[in-house]
Amino acid sequence: MKSEILSLSNVSKESLLNETKKKVLEHQEKCNSFVTILENASLGEGKESKLSNIPYVLKDNFSTKGILTTGSSNTLKDYIPPYNSTVYQKLLDAGAILVAKSSMDEFGMGGSGITPHTGVVCNPYDTSLIAGGSSCGSAACVCDKVVPFAIGSDTGDSVRKPAAYCGIVGYKPTYGMISRYGLFPFASSLDHVGVLTRSVVDAAIVGNAIKGIDSHDMTTFDSSSIDLEKEIEEPISTRKLFYIKELVRLENYPNASEELKSILSQFHEFIKTLQSQGVLVEEVSLSRELLDVIPSVYTCISCAEATSNLSNLTGILFGEPGVGKNVVEQMIDHRTKGFSPLIKRRLIIGSYVLQKENQEKYFVNAQRVRNRIVSIMKGFFQKYDACILPCASSVAPKIKDVNDKMKRESSILDNHMVIGNFGGFPSITIPSSFINGMPVGINLTAEIMEDAKLLSIAYQCEKLLDFKGGETK
Amino acid sequence: MSQKFTKELVHKYALDLLISLTEEENQMVLEEFDIIEENMEKINAIADLKEEEAMTHPFSLENVLLRDDVVEEELPLEDVLLNAKNKTMEEVIVSKVVE
Repeated sequence: MKSEILSLSNVSKESLLNETKKKVLEHQEKCNSFVTILENASLGEGKESKLSNIPYVLKDNFSTKGILTTGSSNTLKDYIPPYNSTVYQKLLDAGAILVAKSSMDEFGMGGSGITPHTGVVCNPYDTSLIAGGSSCGSAACVCDKVVPFAIGSDTGDSVRKPAAYCGIVGYKPTYGMISRYGLFPFASSLDHVGVLTRSVVDAAIVGNAIKGIDSHDMTTFDSSSIDLEKEIEEPISTRKLFYIKELVRLENYPNASEELKSILSQFHEFIKTLQSQGVLVEEVSLSRELLDVIPSVYTCISCAEATSNLSNLTGILFGEPGVGKNVVEQMIDHRTKGFSPLIKRRLIIGSYVLQKENQEKYFVNAQRVRNRIVSIMKGFFQKYDACILPCASSVAPKIKDVNDKMKRESSILDNHMVIGNFGGFPSITIPSSFINGMPVGINLTAEIMEDAKLLSIAYQCEKLLDFKGGETK
Repeated sequence: MSQKFTKELVHKYALDLLISLTEEENQMVLEEFDIIEENMEKINAIADLKEEEAMTHPFSLENVLLRDDVVEEELPLEDVLLNAKNKTMEEVIVSKVVE
């Protein structure tokens, strides 16, 4: 069992920290991953644990007492939280060392890493490409071997997609396994804390360290009976997996690019490898009609929930006060100047679907479709241990080709991972291969609370793929 | 561009959330609204939706976390007010609300 985190226990802690600080600066120059670099980070005094004195990076939407926390937004560019998020507190207690806060798409609303208020985050493999988002900085710095792990958040696929684009592991546990206390909320029914590492074992180690019920977050549950590391060596031969045929059959993509053809061909090759190991892998059907509306359902629900979650950004309790004759005018001025055009447009979609005349036909119906998709997936999970699929239809796109405009059409293969958020299902991306020199990944998703089984399957797949995060080809 | 959406309507949607838009931003929203509505209408095209319960959270969780009836340490007032630009020792100052 190869863990980079455990292997660091033999390294001098002083030299590890000094080396990491050097890498942080070099990586910032290359990829622009950080909002804040903690140059004075020092060896911790936390209890002895697997994470003692291990350097790490935290996404800039986790509250850190006394440390700038911006959500990569101009509205909070000077905000210093007066309390710690539970995740940060747990890592402090475990003795891990925070070395930087990472850039993100503003408040987590984006999938590209081009919208942070501190500028675009680049992909370490090729800096003309995006790192993916919204946990762009966390993914890029783990890919570039600056730190062995980083923390992200995942509302649509914001940990798992950048992990795929950067060739690393991105793990989003069951909804409520990790406390969100102190995490800036975007869409509360979809928001998850996630972990980015270069191996499945390390994802299990970090997941174990930060999970747990929290009286500050009523959506957390008691996961003390779930040990993410214990079952990781379980053999894969007895597992039953499925994939959704509408997503992986080439004939469903009449204008498939050469890249997509390679992704699908490599996926089917890997399915054959699994079958040769005795794994039962079968195809199931999820109607194209439902797959096609996933982005709309996500947009509708997430934008509606965001309107409420971002309503406290008024410039009164925190942020730069707005100008105006009265409080309302001052709040409007603050929000108008602080939010980027993209955030404003997303919030307006939320406002639109929540208008009295639209609520039932858009917002409530989106919640109904969410229920239908989740019910179908739960039916599959009664028969199978996990779902296996490619992560995306391409490698990381070029920065110059990405914009934040609304699309009429998008590939169903680029949007399916949000099903993990709809149902709160544990879901993990692992790097699988290279196409044109860029990494692509495989996504595995399981029934809620089956995180240990999911990580065990992912670990065995990782061994069969023989590609560890951060490798180059 | 659909006639259904106007500059004034977009302005209203924005103002409901205490946001104002520049002319350029308003125009961008107007241009996107056709796509937004078209995408939203795909949701309505799904058959027998009324039979489904609206899902507001991923799964039911019976989680009774009744706190013990003891005084807990609260955040110090000076920490809470740390980020407010206009304040006294104990209060945030805002413009007069009652006109």
